[in-house]
Amino acid sequence: MIAIRDLGFSYGEIPVLKNITMTLEEGRIYGLLGENGVGKTTLLTLLCGLKAAKAGSINTDGHNPFDRDPSFLSDQYYLSDEVAAMNMTALDYAKSYGHFWEKFDMDKFIEIMGIFENDPGKKMSKMSFGQLKKTYIAFALACNTRYLFMDEPTNGLDIPSKAQFRKAMTKYTREDSVILISTHQVRDLENIIDPIIILDRQDILLNASLEEISEKLYFDYSTVKIDNALYCEMIPGGNIQVTLNTESKDSKVNLEALFNTVHQHKELIKGIFSK
Amino acid sequence: MKNKDIFNFNRFGKYFVSDLKTCVANYGLTLLTTTLLLPIAIYVVRVALHAFAYSTWEGPEPGLRLFCFGMALIFIITQMPVKCYGKLTEKQYGSFWLTLPASRLEKFLSMLIMTCLIAPLTGTALFLGMDTLMCAIDPTCGECIIARSKNLFGLLTEMGNLKVNIGFGSIPIDDPEAYDRMLGILTSPWLYVDDIFGITLPFLLGAIYFKKNKIAKTFLALFAFSMAISFITAPLTMGLTPQKIFCSNFFRNMVLTDIISDTVLNIAMMAGVWFRIKTLKH
Repeated sequence: MIAIRDLGFSYGEIPVLKNITMTLEEGRIYGLLGENGVGKTTLLTLLCGLKAAKAGSINTDGHNPFDRDPSFLSDQYYLSDEVAAMNMTALDYAKSYGHFWEKFDMDKFIEIMGIFENDPGKKMSKMSFGQLKKTYIAFALACNTRYLFMDEPTNGLDIPSKAQFRKAMTKYTREDSVILISTHQVRDLENIIDPIIILDRQDILLNASLEEISEKLYFDYSTVKIDNALYCEMIPGGNIQVTLNTESKDSKVNLEALFNTVHQHKELIKGIFSK
Repeated sequence: MKNKDIFNFNRFGKYFVSDLKTCVANYGLTLLTTTLLLPIAIYVVRVALHAFAYSTWEGPEPGLRLFCFGMALIFIITQMPVKCYGKLTEKQYGSFWLTLPASRLEKFLSMLIMTCLIAPLTGTALFLGMDTLMCAIDPTCGECIIARSKNLFGLLTEMGNLKVNIGFGSIPIDDPEAYDRMLGILTSPWLYVDDIFGITLPFLLGAIYFKKNKIAKTFLALFAFSMAISFITAPLTMGLTPQKIFCSNFFRNMVLTDIISDTVLNIAMMAGVWFRIKTLKH
Protein backbone atom coordinates (compact mmCIF):
# COMPACT_ATOMS: atom_id res chain seq x y z
CA MET A 1 0.00 0.00 0.00
CA ILE A 2 1.18 3.51 -0.76
CA ALA A 3 0.11 6.21 1.66
CA ILE A 4 0.53 9.77 0.43
CA ARG A 5 0.06 12.51 3.02
CA ASP A 6 -0.04 16.26 2.30
CA LEU A 7 2.42 15.81 -0.54
CA GLY A 8 3.84 18.98 -1.99
CA PHE A 9 6.29 19.59 -4.81
CA SER A 10 7.45 22.61 -6.78
CA TYR A 11 9.94 23.39 -9.52
CA GLY A 12 11.71 26.37 -8.00
CA GLU A 13 9.00 28.88 -7.17
CA ILE A 14 6.36 27.18 -9.32
CA PRO A 15 4.18 24.82 -7.27
CA VAL A 16 3.08 21.65 -9.05
CA LEU A 17 1.52 19.51 -6.33
CA LYS A 18 0.03 20.80 -3.11
CA ASN A 19 -1.46 18.92 -0.15
CA ILE A 20 -2.05 15.72 -2.08
CA THR A 21 -3.43 13.03 0.20
CA MET A 22 -4.50 9.61 -1.02
CA THR A 23 -3.95 5.91 -0.59
CA LEU A 24 -3.13 3.49 -3.39
CA GLU A 25 -4.24 -0.04 -2.60
CA GLU A 26 -3.19 -3.49 -3.74
CA GLY A 27 -4.90 -5.26 -6.62
CA ARG A 28 -5.80 -2.11 -8.52
CA ILE A 29 -4.67 -0.54 -11.76
CA TYR A 30 -4.99 3.20 -11.22
CA GLY A 31 -5.40 5.47 -14.21
CA LEU A 32 -3.79 8.86 -13.69
CA LEU A 33 -5.35 11.44 -15.97
CA GLY A 34 -4.79 15.16 -16.32
CA GLU A 35 -4.01 17.95 -18.72
CA ASN A 36 -0.45 18.65 -19.84
CA GLY A 37 1.72 20.06 -17.08
CA VAL A 38 -0.52 19.28 -14.11
CA GLY A 39 2.12 17.04 -12.53
CA LYS A 40 1.29 13.47 -13.56
CA THR A 41 4.89 12.58 -14.35
CA THR A 42 6.04 14.49 -11.27
CA LEU A 43 3.73 12.41 -9.08
CA LEU A 44 4.97 9.17 -10.66
CA THR A 45 8.61 10.15 -10.23
CA LEU A 46 7.97 11.08 -6.60
CA LEU A 47 6.38 7.69 -5.99
CA CYS A 48 9.27 5.75 -7.49
CA GLY A 49 11.99 7.79 -5.76
CA LEU A 50 13.33 9.80 -8.68
CA LYS A 51 12.39 13.04 -6.94
CA ALA A 52 12.26 14.11 -3.30
CA ALA A 53 9.03 15.48 -1.86
CA LYS A 54 9.28 19.13 -0.83
CA ALA A 55 6.45 18.74 1.69
CA GLY A 56 4.46 15.89 3.18
CA SER A 57 5.36 12.24 2.89
CA ILE A 58 5.09 9.10 0.81
CA ASN A 59 5.11 5.80 2.63
CA THR A 60 5.45 2.68 0.52
CA ASP A 61 5.37 -0.30 2.87
CA GLY A 62 7.46 1.63 5.40
CA HIS A 63 9.92 3.00 2.83
CA ASN A 64 10.47 6.58 1.81
CA PRO A 65 10.93 6.15 -1.97
CA PHE A 66 13.66 8.80 -2.25
CA ASP A 67 15.91 6.73 0.06
CA ARG A 68 16.10 4.35 -2.91
CA ASP A 69 16.76 1.33 -0.71
CA PRO A 70 17.49 -1.73 -2.87
CA SER A 71 14.83 -3.76 -0.99
CA PHE A 72 12.27 -1.13 -2.04
CA LEU A 73 13.61 -0.72 -5.57
CA SER A 74 13.57 -4.47 -6.21
CA ASP A 75 9.81 -4.50 -5.64
CA GLN A 76 8.95 -1.62 -7.95
CA TYR A 77 9.47 -0.68 -11.57
CA TYR A 78 9.15 2.70 -13.20
CA LEU A 79 8.61 2.85 -16.93
CA SER A 80 9.47 6.33 -18.13
CA ASP A 81 7.73 7.92 -21.12
CA GLU A 82 11.17 8.35 -22.70
CA VAL A 83 13.15 5.13 -22.83
CA ALA A 84 16.87 4.62 -23.42
CA ALA A 85 18.11 2.85 -26.55
CA MET A 86 20.80 0.72 -24.94
CA ASN A 87 23.69 -0.51 -27.03
CA MET A 88 22.80 -4.20 -26.61
CA THR A 89 20.13 -6.69 -27.67
CA ALA A 90 16.86 -6.84 -25.76
CA LEU A 91 17.77 -10.33 -24.58
CA ASP A 92 21.19 -9.24 -23.32
CA TYR A 93 19.52 -6.33 -21.58
CA ALA A 94 17.08 -8.66 -19.83
CA LYS A 95 19.93 -11.01 -18.89
CA SER A 96 22.14 -8.19 -17.62
CA TYR A 97 19.56 -6.34 -15.56
CA GLY A 98 16.64 -8.70 -14.94
CA HIS A 99 18.29 -10.48 -12.02
CA PHE A 100 18.26 -7.28 -9.95
CA TRP A 101 14.52 -7.77 -9.53
CA GLU A 102 14.05 -10.82 -7.31
CA LYS A 103 10.98 -12.11 -9.13
CA PHE A 104 12.12 -11.39 -12.67
CA ASP A 105 10.93 -14.09 -15.05
CA MET A 106 12.93 -14.49 -18.26
CA ASP A 107 10.38 -16.85 -19.83
CA LYS A 108 7.69 -14.28 -19.23
CA PHE A 109 9.85 -11.59 -20.85
CA ILE A 110 10.32 -13.70 -23.96
CA GLU A 111 6.61 -14.60 -23.98
CA ILE A 112 5.52 -10.95 -23.80
CA MET A 113 8.07 -10.00 -26.45
CA GLY A 114 6.37 -12.71 -28.55
CA ILE A 115 2.94 -11.20 -27.94
CA PHE A 116 4.32 -7.85 -29.06
CA GLU A 117 5.91 -9.52 -32.11
CA ASN A 118 9.22 -8.01 -31.01
CA ASP A 119 12.54 -9.73 -31.70
CA PRO A 120 14.51 -10.17 -28.43
CA GLY A 121 17.70 -10.69 -30.44
CA LYS A 122 17.51 -7.24 -32.02
CA LYS A 123 19.83 -4.47 -30.79
CA MET A 124 17.87 -1.91 -28.79
CA SER A 125 19.73 0.95 -30.46
CA LYS A 126 18.42 -0.29 -33.83
CA MET A 127 14.78 -0.53 -32.69
CA SER A 128 12.07 1.96 -33.57
CA PHE A 129 10.59 3.96 -30.68
CA GLY A 130 7.52 1.69 -30.59
CA GLN A 131 9.63 -1.48 -30.54
CA LEU A 132 11.80 -0.03 -27.81
CA LYS A 133 8.75 0.90 -25.76
CA LYS A 134 7.36 -2.63 -26.14
CA THR A 135 10.69 -4.08 -25.01
CA TYR A 136 10.58 -1.98 -21.86
CA ILE A 137 6.91 -2.86 -21.24
CA ALA A 138 7.79 -6.56 -21.56
CA PHE A 139 10.69 -6.06 -19.17
CA ALA A 140 8.53 -4.12 -16.69
CA LEU A 141 5.89 -6.85 -16.62
CA ALA A 142 8.50 -9.63 -16.40
CA CYS A 143 9.94 -7.99 -13.27
CA ASN A 144 6.78 -9.12 -11.40
CA THR A 145 7.02 -6.22 -9.00
CA ARG A 146 4.44 -5.24 -6.43
CA TYR A 147 4.54 -1.60 -7.53
CA LEU A 148 4.49 -0.68 -11.18
CA PHE A 149 4.48 2.91 -12.40
CA MET A 150 3.99 3.57 -16.10
CA ASP A 151 4.20 6.98 -17.71
CA GLU A 152 2.31 7.15 -21.03
CA PRO A 153 3.01 3.50 -21.87
CA THR A 154 0.93 3.49 -25.07
CA ASN A 155 2.64 6.55 -26.58
CA GLY A 156 4.39 5.47 -29.75
CA LEU A 157 2.57 2.13 -29.99
CA ASP A 158 0.71 1.28 -33.19
CA ILE A 159 -2.94 0.14 -33.11
CA PRO A 160 -2.30 -3.65 -32.86
CA SER A 161 0.32 -3.03 -30.18
CA LYS A 162 -2.16 -1.12 -28.05
CA ALA A 163 -4.45 -4.16 -28.04
CA GLN A 164 -1.44 -6.37 -27.26
CA PHE A 165 -0.54 -4.04 -24.42
CA ARG A 166 -4.03 -4.36 -22.91
CA LYS A 167 -3.80 -8.13 -23.22
CA ALA A 168 -0.39 -8.25 -21.57
CA MET A 169 -1.52 -5.95 -18.76
CA THR A 170 -4.49 -8.13 -17.86
CA LYS A 171 -2.63 -11.41 -18.21
CA TYR A 172 0.79 -10.70 -16.72
CA THR A 173 0.27 -8.42 -13.72
CA ARG A 174 0.26 -9.68 -10.15
CA GLU A 175 -3.01 -9.91 -8.24
CA ASP A 176 -1.57 -8.01 -5.29
CA SER A 177 0.21 -5.30 -7.24
CA VAL A 178 -0.40 -1.57 -7.21
CA ILE A 179 -0.21 -0.24 -10.74
CA LEU A 180 -0.36 3.42 -11.61
CA ILE A 181 -0.57 4.39 -15.27
CA SER A 182 -0.52 7.98 -16.42
CA THR A 183 -2.00 8.60 -19.83
CA HIS A 184 -3.56 11.02 -22.25
CA GLN A 185 -4.79 8.18 -24.42
CA VAL A 186 -7.74 7.18 -22.25
CA ARG A 187 -9.30 5.06 -24.98
CA ASP A 188 -6.20 2.85 -25.05
CA LEU A 189 -6.72 1.89 -21.44
CA GLU A 190 -10.48 2.22 -21.02
CA ASN A 191 -11.07 -1.39 -20.05
CA ILE A 192 -8.02 -1.78 -17.87
CA ILE A 193 -7.83 1.15 -15.48
CA ASP A 194 -9.96 1.31 -12.39
CA PRO A 195 -9.95 3.49 -10.21
CA ILE A 196 -9.49 6.79 -12.00
CA ILE A 197 -7.44 9.66 -10.58
CA ILE A 198 -7.83 13.04 -12.26
CA LEU A 199 -5.18 15.60 -11.40
CA ASP A 200 -5.64 19.30 -11.80
CA ARG A 201 -3.27 22.17 -11.04
CA GLN A 202 -1.78 21.18 -7.67
CA ASP A 203 -4.86 19.23 -6.71
CA ILE A 204 -6.75 15.96 -7.15
CA LEU A 205 -10.16 16.49 -8.71
CA LEU A 206 -11.29 12.90 -8.62
CA ASN A 207 -10.09 9.62 -7.12
CA ALA A 208 -12.82 7.04 -7.49
CA SER A 209 -13.49 3.57 -8.82
CA LEU A 210 -15.58 3.07 -11.96
CA GLU A 211 -18.31 1.63 -9.76
CA GLU A 212 -18.41 4.78 -7.62
CA ILE A 213 -18.37 6.95 -10.73
CA SER A 214 -21.29 5.13 -12.35
CA GLU A 215 -23.17 5.31 -9.07
CA LYS A 216 -22.89 9.08 -9.01
CA LEU A 217 -22.80 10.00 -12.69
CA TYR A 218 -24.95 8.76 -15.54
CA PHE A 219 -23.54 8.42 -19.05
CA ASP A 220 -26.27 8.69 -21.64
CA TYR A 221 -25.63 7.60 -25.24
CA SER A 222 -29.09 8.33 -26.70
CA THR A 223 -30.06 10.83 -29.40
CA VAL A 224 -32.40 12.72 -27.04
CA LYS A 225 -30.93 15.89 -25.67
CA ILE A 226 -30.97 16.20 -21.87
CA ASP A 227 -31.51 19.73 -20.58
CA ASN A 228 -29.61 19.53 -17.33
CA ALA A 229 -26.63 17.54 -18.69
CA LEU A 230 -23.31 18.39 -17.09
CA TYR A 231 -21.54 17.58 -20.32
CA CYS A 232 -22.71 16.91 -23.86
CA GLU A 233 -20.72 15.89 -26.89
CA MET A 234 -22.03 14.96 -30.31
CA ILE A 235 -20.76 11.65 -31.66
CA PRO A 236 -21.73 9.82 -34.84
CA GLY A 237 -25.19 8.38 -34.24
CA GLY A 238 -26.05 10.43 -31.15
CA ASN A 239 -24.56 12.16 -28.13
CA ILE A 240 -22.60 11.36 -25.04
CA GLN A 241 -24.22 13.20 -22.18
CA VAL A 242 -23.22 13.12 -18.55
CA THR A 243 -25.75 13.86 -15.83
CA LEU A 244 -25.97 13.32 -12.11
CA ASN A 245 -27.21 9.78 -11.48
CA THR A 246 -30.20 10.64 -9.32
CA GLU A 247 -32.16 7.57 -10.37
CA SER A 248 -29.39 5.01 -9.71
CA LYS A 249 -29.34 3.85 -13.31
CA ASP A 250 -26.54 1.71 -14.72
CA SER A 251 -24.32 3.11 -17.46
CA LYS A 252 -20.91 2.53 -18.98
CA VAL A 253 -18.37 5.15 -17.97
CA ASN A 254 -16.82 6.98 -20.90
CA LEU A 255 -13.45 8.20 -19.71
CA GLU A 256 -13.13 11.10 -22.16
CA ALA A 257 -16.58 12.38 -21.26
CA LEU A 258 -15.81 11.89 -17.59
CA PHE A 259 -12.55 13.84 -17.90
CA ASN A 260 -14.27 16.75 -19.67
CA THR A 261 -17.16 16.76 -17.18
CA VAL A 262 -14.76 16.88 -14.25
CA HIS A 263 -12.88 19.77 -15.82
CA GLN A 264 -16.01 21.77 -16.53
CA HIS A 265 -17.52 21.25 -13.07
CA LYS A 266 -14.52 20.97 -10.76
CA GLU A 267 -16.09 22.05 -7.49
CA LEU A 268 -19.35 20.18 -8.11
CA ILE A 269 -17.55 16.91 -8.85
CA LYS A 270 -15.19 17.32 -5.90
CA GLY A 271 -18.19 17.91 -3.69
CA ILE A 272 -20.08 14.86 -4.99
CA PHE A 273 -17.16 12.48 -4.63
CA SER A 274 -15.90 13.74 -1.29
CA LYS A 275 -19.15 12.68 0.38
CA MET B 1 17.89 1.18 6.83
CA LYS B 2 19.00 -2.45 6.97
CA ASN B 3 22.66 -3.42 6.42
CA LYS B 4 21.58 -5.35 3.34
CA ASP B 5 20.31 -2.10 1.89
CA ILE B 6 23.72 -0.45 2.34
CA PHE B 7 26.01 -3.11 0.91
CA ASN B 8 25.61 -6.69 -0.21
CA PHE B 9 28.56 -8.55 -1.79
CA ASN B 10 26.41 -10.75 -3.97
CA ARG B 11 24.42 -7.82 -5.33
CA PHE B 12 27.58 -5.73 -5.77
CA GLY B 13 29.12 -8.54 -7.81
CA LYS B 14 26.07 -8.68 -10.04
CA TYR B 15 25.96 -4.92 -10.37
CA PHE B 16 29.66 -4.67 -11.19
CA VAL B 17 29.36 -7.30 -13.92
CA SER B 18 26.37 -5.51 -15.50
CA ASP B 19 28.21 -2.17 -15.21
CA LEU B 20 31.23 -3.72 -16.91
CA LYS B 21 29.04 -5.12 -19.70
CA THR B 22 27.37 -1.73 -20.23
CA CYS B 23 30.76 0.00 -20.32
CA VAL B 24 32.10 -2.55 -22.80
CA ALA B 25 28.99 -2.03 -24.97
CA ASN B 26 29.30 1.76 -24.79
CA TYR B 27 33.05 2.24 -24.82
CA GLY B 28 34.72 -1.09 -25.68
CA LEU B 29 35.16 -0.38 -29.36
CA THR B 30 36.56 3.12 -28.78
CA LEU B 31 39.01 1.71 -26.22
CA LEU B 32 40.19 -0.97 -28.63
CA THR B 33 40.53 1.54 -31.46
CA THR B 34 42.50 3.96 -29.31
CA THR B 35 44.84 1.40 -27.83
CA LEU B 36 45.29 -1.13 -30.63
CA LEU B 37 44.70 0.74 -33.87
CA LEU B 38 46.44 3.98 -32.91
CA PRO B 39 49.93 2.39 -32.55
CA ILE B 40 49.40 0.55 -35.84
CA ALA B 41 48.27 3.75 -37.58
CA ILE B 42 51.32 5.63 -36.29
CA TYR B 43 53.55 2.79 -37.36
CA VAL B 44 52.10 2.70 -40.88
CA VAL B 45 52.24 6.50 -41.33
CA ARG B 46 55.78 6.70 -39.97
CA VAL B 47 57.06 3.85 -42.12
CA ALA B 48 55.34 5.24 -45.21
CA LEU B 49 56.69 8.76 -44.67
CA HIS B 50 60.20 7.49 -44.03
CA ALA B 51 60.09 5.23 -47.07
CA PHE B 52 58.86 8.14 -49.18
CA ALA B 53 61.42 10.66 -47.88
CA TYR B 54 64.53 8.49 -47.39
CA SER B 55 63.70 5.25 -49.18
CA THR B 56 64.43 3.27 -46.03
CA TRP B 57 62.26 1.23 -43.68
CA GLU B 58 62.11 2.92 -40.29
CA GLY B 59 59.53 2.33 -37.57
CA PRO B 60 58.42 5.06 -35.13
CA GLU B 61 61.00 5.89 -32.50
CA PRO B 62 60.25 5.31 -28.77
CA GLY B 63 59.82 9.03 -28.07
CA LEU B 64 57.01 9.36 -30.59
CA ARG B 65 55.35 6.18 -29.34
CA LEU B 66 55.59 7.38 -25.76
CA PHE B 67 53.99 10.67 -26.75
CA CYS B 68 51.17 8.78 -28.50
CA PHE B 69 50.74 6.58 -25.43
CA GLY B 70 50.28 9.71 -23.31
CA MET B 71 47.77 11.11 -25.79
CA ALA B 72 45.85 7.81 -25.86
CA LEU B 73 45.71 7.74 -22.06
CA ILE B 74 44.42 11.32 -21.92
CA PHE B 75 41.78 10.40 -24.52
CA ILE B 76 40.70 7.34 -22.52
CA ILE B 77 40.60 9.17 -19.19
CA THR B 78 38.55 12.06 -20.57
CA GLN B 79 36.21 10.06 -22.80
CA MET B 80 35.43 6.95 -20.78
CA PRO B 81 33.40 8.52 -17.92
CA VAL B 82 31.28 10.47 -20.41
CA LYS B 83 30.57 7.40 -22.55
CA CYS B 84 29.85 5.13 -19.59
CA TYR B 85 28.22 7.43 -17.04
CA GLY B 86 27.46 10.67 -18.87
CA LYS B 87 23.96 9.46 -19.69
CA LEU B 88 23.00 9.55 -16.01
CA THR B 89 22.11 13.20 -16.47
CA GLU B 90 19.66 12.26 -19.25
CA LYS B 91 16.13 11.38 -18.22
CA GLN B 92 15.91 8.17 -20.30
CA TYR B 93 18.94 6.40 -18.90
CA GLY B 94 19.20 8.27 -15.60
CA SER B 95 15.71 7.20 -14.48
CA PHE B 96 16.53 3.58 -15.16
CA TRP B 97 19.92 3.75 -13.44
CA LEU B 98 18.57 5.44 -10.32
CA THR B 99 15.76 2.92 -9.91
CA LEU B 100 18.00 -0.09 -10.57
CA PRO B 101 17.90 -2.15 -7.36
CA ALA B 102 21.44 -1.71 -6.10
CA SER B 103 22.55 0.50 -3.22
CA ARG B 104 24.21 3.89 -3.66
CA LEU B 105 27.43 2.53 -2.20
CA GLU B 106 27.48 -0.35 -4.68
CA LYS B 107 26.86 1.97 -7.63
CA PHE B 108 29.50 4.41 -6.33
CA LEU B 109 32.19 1.75 -5.82
CA SER B 110 31.55 0.18 -9.19
CA MET B 111 31.81 3.59 -10.84
CA LEU B 112 35.15 4.32 -9.11
CA ILE B 113 36.66 0.93 -9.92
CA MET B 114 35.60 1.19 -13.56
CA THR B 115 36.78 4.78 -14.07
CA CYS B 116 39.89 4.96 -11.92
CA LEU B 117 41.27 1.45 -12.27
CA ILE B 118 39.76 -0.76 -14.99
CA ALA B 119 39.68 1.78 -17.85
CA PRO B 120 43.18 3.33 -17.44
CA LEU B 121 44.80 -0.02 -16.61
CA THR B 122 43.14 -1.84 -19.51
CA GLY B 123 44.07 1.01 -21.85
CA THR B 124 47.68 0.97 -20.63
CA ALA B 125 47.95 -2.82 -20.89
CA LEU B 126 46.50 -2.92 -24.41
CA PHE B 127 48.61 -0.04 -25.74
CA LEU B 128 51.83 -1.28 -24.19
CA GLY B 129 51.06 -4.84 -25.31
CA MET B 130 50.60 -3.68 -28.88
CA ASP B 131 53.75 -1.55 -28.63
CA THR B 132 55.76 -4.55 -27.38
CA LEU B 133 54.39 -6.74 -30.18
CA MET B 134 55.22 -4.11 -32.77
CA CYS B 135 58.79 -3.76 -31.48
CA ALA B 136 59.22 -7.54 -31.44
CA ILE B 137 58.08 -7.81 -35.07
CA ASP B 138 59.98 -4.78 -36.38
CA PRO B 139 63.36 -4.10 -34.69
CA THR B 140 63.59 -0.71 -36.43
CA CYS B 141 61.13 0.59 -33.79
CA GLY B 142 63.82 0.26 -31.17
CA GLU B 143 63.14 -0.52 -27.55
CA CYS B 144 59.53 -1.04 -26.50
CA ILE B 145 58.07 1.41 -23.95
CA ILE B 146 57.99 -1.19 -21.15
CA ALA B 147 61.66 -2.10 -21.59
CA ARG B 148 62.61 1.56 -21.80
CA SER B 149 60.79 2.43 -18.57
CA LYS B 150 62.32 -0.58 -16.85
CA ASN B 151 65.79 0.48 -17.94
CA LEU B 152 65.14 4.02 -16.75
CA PHE B 153 64.14 2.84 -13.28
CA GLY B 154 67.12 0.46 -13.28
CA LEU B 155 69.49 3.30 -14.10
CA LEU B 156 67.93 5.42 -11.38
CA THR B 157 68.47 2.83 -8.67
CA GLU B 158 71.94 1.80 -9.81
CA MET B 159 73.36 5.29 -10.10
CA GLY B 160 75.82 6.34 -7.42
CA ASN B 161 74.78 9.93 -7.66
CA LEU B 162 71.97 11.79 -9.27
CA LYS B 163 71.72 14.92 -11.35
CA VAL B 164 68.40 16.62 -11.42
CA ASN B 165 67.74 18.25 -14.77
CA ILE B 166 65.74 21.41 -14.35
CA GLY B 167 65.85 22.84 -17.84
CA PHE B 168 68.50 25.52 -17.50
CA GLY B 169 71.10 23.23 -15.95
CA SER B 170 71.52 20.19 -13.79
CA ILE B 171 72.09 19.99 -10.06
CA PRO B 172 74.18 17.09 -8.77
CA ILE B 173 72.93 15.49 -5.56
CA ASP B 174 76.07 14.36 -3.83
CA ASP B 175 74.65 13.65 -0.42
CA PRO B 176 73.93 9.86 -0.38
CA GLU B 177 71.29 10.30 2.32
CA ALA B 178 69.45 12.93 0.30
CA TYR B 179 69.76 10.75 -2.78
CA ASP B 180 68.29 7.68 -1.02
CA ARG B 181 65.48 9.79 0.37
CA MET B 182 64.68 11.18 -3.06
CA LEU B 183 64.82 7.75 -4.66
CA GLY B 184 62.48 6.40 -2.00
CA ILE B 185 60.04 9.18 -2.70
CA LEU B 186 60.19 8.81 -6.48
CA THR B 187 59.64 5.07 -6.36
CA SER B 188 56.81 5.19 -3.82
CA PRO B 189 53.73 3.65 -5.46
CA TRP B 190 51.36 5.95 -3.57
CA LEU B 191 52.82 8.95 -5.44
CA TYR B 192 51.43 7.42 -8.65
CA VAL B 193 48.27 5.77 -7.30
CA ASP B 194 46.83 9.00 -5.97
CA ASP B 195 47.78 10.67 -9.25
CA ILE B 196 45.73 8.11 -11.22
CA PHE B 197 42.72 8.90 -9.05
CA GLY B 198 43.51 12.62 -9.20
CA ILE B 199 43.52 12.60 -13.00
CA THR B 200 40.48 10.38 -13.57
CA LEU B 201 38.12 11.62 -10.84
CA PRO B 202 37.60 15.18 -12.19
CA PHE B 203 36.37 13.73 -15.49
CA LEU B 204 34.00 11.33 -13.74
CA LEU B 205 32.70 14.22 -11.67
CA GLY B 206 32.30 16.36 -14.80
CA ALA B 207 30.50 13.52 -16.61
CA ILE B 208 27.85 13.19 -13.94
CA TYR B 209 27.49 16.88 -13.00
CA PHE B 210 27.46 18.71 -16.32
CA LYS B 211 24.58 18.11 -18.69
CA LYS B 212 26.31 19.25 -21.88
CA ASN B 213 29.91 19.79 -23.09
CA LYS B 214 31.07 17.67 -20.19
CA ILE B 215 34.75 17.36 -21.16
CA ALA B 216 35.24 21.00 -22.14
CA LYS B 217 33.56 22.22 -18.95
CA THR B 218 35.69 19.85 -16.86
CA PHE B 219 38.87 21.22 -18.48
CA LEU B 220 37.68 24.76 -17.82
CA ALA B 221 36.88 23.94 -14.20
CA LEU B 222 40.31 22.31 -13.78
CA PHE B 223 41.98 25.33 -15.35
CA ALA B 224 40.14 27.72 -13.01
CA PHE B 225 40.96 25.55 -10.01
CA SER B 226 44.66 25.30 -10.95
CA MET B 227 44.88 29.06 -11.39
CA ALA B 228 43.34 29.64 -7.97
CA ILE B 229 45.71 27.13 -6.32
CA SER B 230 48.72 28.67 -8.10
CA PHE B 231 47.84 32.12 -6.77
CA ILE B 232 47.69 30.71 -3.26
CA THR B 233 50.84 28.57 -3.40
CA ALA B 234 53.12 30.80 -5.50
CA PRO B 235 54.12 33.10 -2.59
CA LEU B 236 55.17 30.06 -0.55
CA THR B 237 57.81 29.01 -3.10
CA MET B 238 59.26 32.46 -3.73
CA GLY B 239 62.95 32.85 -2.95
CA LEU B 240 63.71 29.14 -3.17
CA THR B 241 66.73 28.12 -5.22
CA PRO B 242 66.75 24.74 -7.04
CA GLN B 243 69.69 23.70 -4.85
CA LYS B 244 67.63 24.37 -1.76
CA ILE B 245 64.65 22.46 -3.16
CA PHE B 246 66.47 19.27 -4.11
CA CYS B 247 69.17 19.01 -1.46
CA SER B 248 67.29 19.57 1.74
CA ASN B 249 64.22 18.32 3.51
CA PHE B 250 62.20 20.72 1.40
CA PHE B 251 61.88 18.21 -1.45
CA ARG B 252 60.66 15.49 0.92
CA ASN B 253 58.17 17.89 2.48
CA MET B 254 57.07 19.09 -0.94
CA VAL B 255 56.33 15.53 -2.08
CA LEU B 256 54.62 14.77 1.21
CA THR B 257 52.48 17.90 0.81
CA ASP B 258 51.69 16.82 -2.74
CA ILE B 259 50.60 13.36 -1.58
CA ILE B 260 48.48 14.75 1.26
CA SER B 261 46.88 17.48 -0.87
CA ASP B 262 46.19 14.98 -3.69
CA THR B 263 44.64 12.55 -1.22
CA VAL B 264 42.47 15.29 0.30
CA LEU B 265 41.39 16.43 -3.17
CA ASN B 266 40.64 12.86 -4.22
CA ILE B 267 38.52 12.34 -1.13
CA ALA B 268 36.71 15.62 -1.85
CA MET B 269 36.05 14.55 -5.46
CA MET B 270 34.83 11.13 -4.31
CA ALA B 271 32.51 12.91 -1.88
CA GLY B 272 31.30 14.99 -4.84
CA VAL B 273 30.54 11.83 -6.84
CA TRP B 274 28.77 10.30 -3.85
CA PHE B 275 26.74 13.46 -3.23
CA ARG B 276 25.73 13.61 -6.91
CA ILE B 277 24.56 9.97 -6.88
CA LYS B 278 22.64 10.64 -3.66
CA THR B 279 20.90 13.77 -4.85
CA LEU B 280 20.46 13.10 -8.58
CA LYS B 281 16.81 13.53 -9.56
CA HIS B 282 14.85 13.10 -12.76
